[in-house]
Amino acid sequence: MQALLSYDQSPPITAPFRFFLTAPVFGVLAGLLLVWSGPNAFLSRWTPEALALTHLITAGFMLQVMLGALIQVLPVVAGANMARPLLVASLVHAAITLGGLVLPMAFLTFQPGMFIFATVCFISGGLLFVGASAWAMRGIPATGPTINGLKIAVSGLAVTIAIGVAMSLGLAGWFNLPLIQLADIHLVWGFVVWGLGLLAAVAYVVVPMFQITPSYPDWFGKQFVPAALALACLWTVLGSIGFETSAFAVGLALAVAAAAFASLTLMLQKRSKRSRFDTNQHCWRVAMVSILAAISLWMASAVIPAVAEWPGWPLLCGVLLMFGGFVSVITGMLYKIVPFLAWLHLQNRGQGVLLAPNMKKIIDEQAMKRQMISHFAAGTLLVLAVFLPESARPAGGAVAVSQAWLLRNLWSGVRVFREHCRKIEMKRAKP
Amino acid sequence: MSAAKADRIVDGRDLEPPEPFILTMEALDAISPGQTVMLVLGREPFPLYRALQLNGYAWETTHNDDGTVEILIRHRPE
Repeated sequence: MQALLSYDQSPPITAPFRFFLTAPVFGVLAGLLLVWSGPNAFLSRWTPEALALTHLITAGFMLQVMLGALIQVLPVVAGANMARPLLVASLVHAAITLGGLVLPMAFLTFQPGMFIFATVCFISGGLLFVGASAWAMRGIPATGPTINGLKIAVSGLAVTIAIGVAMSLGLAGWFNLPLIQLADIHLVWGFVVWGLGLLAAVAYVVVPMFQITPSYPDWFGKQFVPAALALACLWTVLGSIGFETSAFAVGLALAVAAAAFASLTLMLQKRSKRSRFDTNQHCWRVAMVSILAAISLWMASAVIPAVAEWPGWPLLCGVLLMFGGFVSVITGMLYKIVPFLAWLHLQNRGQGVLLAPNMKKIIDEQAMKRQMISHFAAGTLLVLAVFLPESARPAGGAVAVSQAWLLRNLWSGVRVFREHCRKIEMKRAKP
Repeated sequence: MSAAKADRIVDGRDLEPPEPFILTMEALDAISPGQTVMLVLGREPFPLYRALQLNGYAWETTHNDDGTVEILIRHRPE
């Protein structure tokens, strides 16, 4: 029966895969930039090299996977089908890939034309994506925390891009803006409302599903992302009108909420029914511990003068949050999503001619585990580079190798998919 | 749980995808017209709905207070 089933899977597999396969290329570029720049990237979070590096990871690696995953997740968890998904995916992918490449170059050269070009790319890609996903989600009742969380996360993306665009045009000389203050707002909306909002909304589904854990408590699922949105709004307003102490208290509440999400995820993982952790679970665990470490460091900088005076704390916070947190969890999820989608599409395409291969054989488990270890090693070297900037080059080399390895592993899944498609065609040709 | 009214039950709560999907397909393959399959999950399986719709099945979904979702599947009447 399963071979006879047909379900016009939407969207086509190439829609999300193009994003997933482009992401590690940005990771490799980030590693190579670090090799090229050396210690400069670790002198301050405001050096051109540090800004370029940050955006290769956030607007490059992270954005690619997050948008690709959303295109796939909307129909699966919300039943929201995007109209013309392949066309939307092609245009959005082209726009954010170009923007993701040009923006770091703009930071390195400070050429106004490059900031403007990157702005046009992110505005067009962002508007198209937000519009297409909002249209797909229209009328979908928020029956669960995931759908509500996805809607809030997408609105967070819109705000993040809008602030980024304003800053980019400010850097191009169009406006006179308080860039440092805006940078913090951009960062909070990008990492908390968009990044953590999306992560939490997806986690409610994928953590119990792939890690065989109990579900997140109902009250937490309902409250966490809306609370993060409300606190981010309040923090932005209070900070903008000069109520620094109140803004700090709200920021603290936001950090506690984020720490609660990470702690709860670790507690659920402990109750997993799986006897041995797989790559996905290890990546999630390291990511949650890294996020907790980043939050603890931020809080320490607020109350311990010695930490606040140490110039390395924002860099360490960034490394823990971006590389230890988001890159780790994204890596773990890619290792579940790519084989699962390949299996799903092959099952559908087989149509009784040939059954899909075992999902666990689509990307070799040992290859994933080895790449994960190389990623953790690269993360450790990046942390070391905060204390010893001269080790930035070896750290960059390690990042480039681990990301190239990730690309190789993902491609191996694509090869299995293509090979199986070819077998299906051959069987059909010779009944 | 209203599983008692089903002829076959697939409990997919402790299974990793795609196992619940495969087991449900196998159970549907084994039932006769008029019989039913109950799938119990911790979430709503939207891709499965599309597959059921395209392959001539009808289903009823129940959300329980404990967070589980029950999907009662039968052949769609001609």
